[in-house]
Amino acid sequence: MADKMQICNISENNFEQCTKCSICTTVCPVAAVTTDYPGPKQAGPDGERYRLKDPAYYDKMLKLCLNCKRCEVACPSGVHIADIIQSARMKAGEGKRASLRDTMLANTDLLGMVANKVAPLANATLGLAPTKLVMHSVMAIDKHRTFPAYSRTKFETWFKRHAQSRQDAYPKHVSYFHGCYVNYNFPKLGQDLVKLMNAMGYGVHLLDKEQCCGVALIANGLYKQAKRQGRVNAASIRQTVNTDHRTVLTTSSSCTFNLRDEYPAILGIDTRDVRDNIMLATRFIYRLIDEEKVKLVFKKDYQRRIAYHTACHMQRMGWQLYSIELLRMIPGLDLQELEQECCGISGTYGFKKENYERSQAIGSVLFKHIADAQVEAVATDCETCKWQIEMSTGLPVENPISILADALDVEATRQANGL
Amino acid sequence: MRMDTVIMGGGLSALTCGIALAKRGQRVAIVASGQSTLLFNGGSMELLGCVDGKAVTSPLEAIAALPAEHPYSKLGADRISELASEAHSLLTDAGIVMEGKADANHWRITPIGVAKPAWLTLSSHFSIDSLGELPCKRLALMCIRGFFDQPNGMLAEGLKGLGFEVDKLEFTTDEITALRRSPSEMRANSLAKRLVSNASLQRVADEINRLAADADMVLFPSVLADEDVIQTLKSMVKKPLRLVATLPPAVSGNRMQALLRHYFRMLGGNYLMGDTVVSGTLEGDRLTSVTTAKLGDMPLRADNFVLATGSFVSKGLVADYGRVYEPILDLDVDADADREQWTRFGVLEPQAYSRYGVKTDAGLHCLKQGKPIQNLRAIGSVLSGHDAIKMGDGTGVSLLTALAAAQSILATK
Repeated sequence: MADKMQICNISENNFEQCTKCSICTTVCPVAAVTTDYPGPKQAGPDGERYRLKDPAYYDKMLKLCLNCKRCEVACPSGVHIADIIQSARMKAGEGKRASLRDTMLANTDLLGMVANKVAPLANATLGLAPTKLVMHSVMAIDKHRTFPAYSRTKFETWFKRHAQSRQDAYPKHVSYFHGCYVNYNFPKLGQDLVKLMNAMGYGVHLLDKEQCCGVALIANGLYKQAKRQGRVNAASIRQTVNTDHRTVLTTSSSCTFNLRDEYPAILGIDTRDVRDNIMLATRFIYRLIDEEKVKLVFKKDYQRRIAYHTACHMQRMGWQLYSIELLRMIPGLDLQELEQECCGISGTYGFKKENYERSQAIGSVLFKHIADAQVEAVATDCETCKWQIEMSTGLPVENPISILADALDVEATRQANGL
Repeated sequence: MRMDTVIMGGGLSALTCGIALAKRGQRVAIVASGQSTLLFNGGSMELLGCVDGKAVTSPLEAIAALPAEHPYSKLGADRISELASEAHSLLTDAGIVMEGKADANHWRITPIGVAKPAWLTLSSHFSIDSLGELPCKRLALMCIRGFFDQPNGMLAEGLKGLGFEVDKLEFTTDEITALRRSPSEMRANSLAKRLVSNASLQRVADEINRLAADADMVLFPSVLADEDVIQTLKSMVKKPLRLVATLPPAVSGNRMQALLRHYFRMLGGNYLMGDTVVSGTLEGDRLTSVTTAKLGDMPLRADNFVLATGSFVSKGLVADYGRVYEPILDLDVDADADREQWTRFGVLEPQAYSRYGVKTDAGLHCLKQGKPIQNLRAIGSVLSGHDAIKMGDGTGVSLLTALAAAQSILATK
């Protein structure tokens, strides 16, 4: 009998495994707030059966999907629901041009490069009411949003001027994919990573060529550019892994997820050979401590109460455990893990005028949990969650790496690691 | 990464066991492959509903007469009463308010109107203590226009069969009508996300008060997200109001799962959602670590492990063309070798496969090639020797074996 029956999947995204249990529809943050979106089951495996017959069945409302992957995390049958939706969007968008607004939002590095040069001007201008109004009406970027402030000095520039020459002296080494946010908006996070790794005896190095990982390009339909940049990153990562034998560390959950999983799944760039060598710094550090290869010593007078928010892509990777467990090692840090809810920003999604209300409605559940937790700050591994939570709750949001660096007794840590 | 206990599976038994251990200070990780079948729960727990096709009135008495291979017999019939009351308190502590007694079943009403014996039912839900003595005569069954998850006709016929007079009262509000724009999403959980504000509940209440003026009691589909919302609607409706279970995925199950998971997290537990244990390392008669799909080359090590991976639907058991097996460690299973014996014709007939599960010794330790693994216990639906569908013992086995396993783990310290 077996030889006459199909015993394995024939689709890459597992859609034959859907048992129609509808569990995914209960966790979709978009379907929860709007009836315009058909929900993950209909948009994903159900719709796919029709689209395979005739692409005309493509529903343009699939653009409302956040690509948060919560449907995939919930699915008891392992169906790659969000990948099915992303691939359908990509297929439907082939040959179409993205709008000026979407192109601008998607090119986080281009925007950053220009803004860096005129940072004080850009920060002042982007924050002005008339500018916001023009952006709102002409560009359709929502007036409630403030662009994250641009730094005057890029992380790369700071690194080359102040840190690079010291790195070779350390006994062990890692590479760092800093991403656009660290480079253009918030170099301090990169500096915190360098401080932390150096104290443990690790030199930090930039990649030969780093370009924006492309997560925003994919979300905005600029697939060709995403592929082009992805190939550059894949080559640089492969070089440092294979030639320098270095692990590539990251501090952004979305960049990490994109490099490891979306490159092969969505862009067709096979990074599987180096996938295990790309990881969030918190995972790398946790492992070193777990294997008793390094020690972290923290300040004695550190006292804070912080809530940890699991970003959607972090949940999809399943790595929140490392960030949480590292933070729990800090004496004096009272950490409360929040229920895993979407903050609603989803990268550039929430910046668009047409999505603003939906974005805030999605986030409202999380904002209430944060208010109930009565904390002084929120920790998360995603920069766009940070913008959204800071804007919506007024609380400061910090990356776990920055919290660790802040709580670290640098001298004592260096000594504990034989430096 | 090192834990005191790692629990494989994330449903009712896993959460119960995890909470019991975390409460006593253990470092616990639960590895959950997606959402569990707890999401299908309509708001009741069953200890033992049926033996040999006959409804059980006193579960505690009937349990004493179960065969030795039943999980309750392994726990010891004399411990059931104490474990049941511990389970009831744990649910209450998590914020799940249920009523019922272990020595006397009451009757829950299924979404298609069948009365089934139950041990605990959510206080806000409709249940009947005794079929011979109905709590009231005339029921107003509120039917939301266009709602997929409540087969009103079958439900009304079932209730009439029990002796009630039933008025089916169809209604809608602007908000509910708006949901119908998305033809596939007119489901219980979607309604639960919309019927939250006082204004939207007041519009529903106005319709109920207008239509159900003559009823003794109002039955409303279980589409209300939490206890606050339920109490608000109750306060707005003039007649007594009770909820009736809908088809799954159920709002009540979703809520119970969220409350249990929240309680577990508040106790410091790690709930790894959407990850799966793919293999384990055995050294002699002990399991030393397990590897998950997402943690990859960093295995989870622990003193104790618990297998709570569920039955076939949750992939805790797998059947291929040749055999039934346990996919993580290929543990010994109780299952017929002859494939012809697995099923019998007629979907409602008792099915052999529903009693299949992993073999365990009296202490719930899993066996591999006949030998017990000393620090691996199985709990819940993955256990053999019970039948959630035909015996109505699924949730009870999950809760009680979870607590017994936690006690036994804590005793090894």
